[in-house]
Amino acid sequence: MSFTLYNYVLSGNCYKVRLMASLLKVSYEAVSVDFHPGKAHKQEPLLKLNPAGTLPVLVTADHEILTETQAMLVWLAQQYDVDNTWWPAHNQPQITGIMQWLAFASRLSATVGELRLHTMLNKPLDAAPTRAGAIKALRELESHLTEQRIHGHPWLAGSSPTIADIACFPYTALSPDANIEHDNYPAIRSWLHAVRCLDGFITMPGIFELHTLRNPAGADASPLSDTVA
Amino acid sequence: MSAREHALKYWYPVAMVNELASGQTRETVLLETPLQLEATADGNLNASAHKQSLSVQNAFDHWWVTLSDNPYPLFKVPEAAETDRRFVPCGVVRVLCSPLRAVENFLDIAHFPFVHTDVLGAEPHTEVYKYDVKIDDTHDEVIASNIRFYQPQAAKSAEGGIETQYIYRVPAPMVAVLYKTCPQREDAMDVIALFVQPVDEETCDVWPWMALYDDTSSMADLIQFQQFIFLQDRTILENQLPRKLPIDPGLEIPTRADLTSVSYRRWLKKRGAYYGALEGR
Amino acid sequence: MTSHPVGLSGNLAPRQVMRATINQFDIAVWRSESGIISAWDNRCPHRGMRLSHGFVRGESLACAYHGWHYNCEGFCHYIPAHPELTPPKTVRPVIYSVIERHGLIWINPTAEARAHELPDNLIPLRTLTFECDENTALHAMSSTAQHAGESFEPGDTLSESPRIITVNTPAIANGIIIAFHQCAPHNVIAHVLVQNTLSSAAQIDVSRWLESVRRHAEANVSEYL
Repeated sequence: MSFTLYNYVLSGNCYKVRLMASLLKVSYEAVSVDFHPGKAHKQEPLLKLNPAGTLPVLVTADHEILTETQAMLVWLAQQYDVDNTWWPAHNQPQITGIMQWLAFASRLSATVGELRLHTMLNKPLDAAPTRAGAIKALRELESHLTEQRIHGHPWLAGSSPTIADIACFPYTALSPDANIEHDNYPAIRSWLHAVRCLDGFITMPGIFELHTLRNPAGADASPLSDTVA
Repeated sequence: MSAREHALKYWYPVAMVNELASGQTRETVLLETPLQLEATADGNLNASAHKQSLSVQNAFDHWWVTLSDNPYPLFKVPEAAETDRRFVPCGVVRVLCSPLRAVENFLDIAHFPFVHTDVLGAEPHTEVYKYDVKIDDTHDEVIASNIRFYQPQAAKSAEGGIETQYIYRVPAPMVAVLYKTCPQREDAMDVIALFVQPVDEETCDVWPWMALYDDTSSMADLIQFQQFIFLQDRTILENQLPRKLPIDPGLEIPTRADLTSVSYRRWLKKRGAYYGALEGR
Repeated sequence: MTSHPVGLSGNLAPRQVMRATINQFDIAVWRSESGIISAWDNRCPHRGMRLSHGFVRGESLACAYHGWHYNCEGFCHYIPAHPELTPPKTVRPVIYSVIERHGLIWINPTAEARAHELPDNLIPLRTLTFECDENTALHAMSSTAQHAGESFEPGDTLSESPRIITVNTPAIANGIIIAFHQCAPHNVIAHVLVQNTLSSAAQIDVSRWLESVRRHAEANVSEYL
């Protein structure tokens, strides 16, 4: 196996890595961690892997441990993107733009992500400021996507999808779980739809299967299988 | 009797038995009533509302409380005594919907290909074949049986699936118990239940619980399978209008596939279980 | 009731579904593969699921819950749980009148939809939602021009209901048109249309100006935003 992912099926950050791996058609071993209700990520032996107590954790075949989701996207693209389009290292201006949205993705986790855990799994939280922060972040994303469209670019950082889009996709798509609907964000809606149309796209709970594109006659691989071929 | 007064006469789950450490407290809401929970040093749970101590019992890996002095007895799940099963409490999930909508969705199979795509169902295997529903006179429960549905194998070699058998029981207005073909044992069925804690008429905390024969999967895998399925349902439940369950015919259009739901609504109406229900059309 | 501009045509591509709100009316708006637009009560008649979560297949909208398929006239023609069944004609959501004009989608939930006539040389730029009422948004537009030294100033009122105004820019008088849609008491949507000769840079200026108007309008409404 190429790497091991310590995974929780409802986590948007874990999904981010699963989605990227699926888009790059990489197989890996997923180890389920009882995040809820067990809080296993806050206990040994997980803390030994990641003292921060967060998920996901990615362990490479060389036993290198990655604990930051955005860094995992960079690592995946560096390892497995033969065309260098998801992380175009040779294109410095584009890399700068991607870095901007990788950092922004952490804000989405801290706002939409936290509000979602509060709304869905009763995690204690001061909800009002977190909700305001979430709406502020989504509005920034909406404005940026609007301006990208004026420039003729449908993606966050350029004319083709990059890891920036994958970094920002999960918690944006999952905001209805936190009772923030997409109705007021038309540019975000179009962009979410474009991501869902990518070859190799996978879903998670809260993000509906795009049955529009589905061939009713044939079933795809299970979204729950341990290894993603 | 008001809808709420009727609802008060049942037991409801408020916590998992192993959830709180000794001395740990938690607040929750049951039927619009704030509750204080505290785990005691001897492994029990103290529950109180408005500083009044409440009756508590331990069943199916959960603490159950009632706000009534004279409640109906807690329903039975005989399989809970079969010690070779794996018992899996799955934690709580908050859903903004009527507690009755949460139960009704659990009794529905026609949504599997569209909501639980490639796991519990897949096009083109969408047909719901004729099945039986009755009210069990001895226990006054809704029973749906002889249900069979095509389900894809949840493995990457998903070449062809299996036809799964289902039996449903509704032993209380806010509880549904499913008996399902067990992949590992031909002579037994897996049990998957949905215990619903009504916060108010349009909000509920849902506690899924399973009693399975499975020697291979990790506990985390079993829990996550169930959470994966239920969180797909949550998106549906929070988008049904109206939020309350229409208990009289007319507002919604059932088909033959909805026979369990039709019987469930009639059974609720007959016993006066209107909490979370919408009357009239 | 008057017709409401609920969204931009360009934000509803073929095979997409969106949700519109007009006070108590919750509406699913969708476009078929061939481009036909429809606006329906946002409830599947089967189990009440919002149809705005549904998916488009060809010339049908299907409900996300059980996959019931509805054609462009709103009639249910396929129930996956009973593939052989011909659904009765009664299985049909409430249908609303919808038209498209000037790049806007106009809906009237109680009568035939009509569009307000606007100049022809306009292109839709974007839609912004304000968490305040229409008057607060309008007032912020005037005061932003005065206090923040913005070079955009409200001009003529083209329509009172729905409210449609022009905005003067340094280059062109009445070069921008804003159509408001008050979807709820404390929620107003502003659709911005600009002259089709405007450069990309100028379009972005207009977009950012409206964001600053929104910050101004909401400053006294929300403690956090």
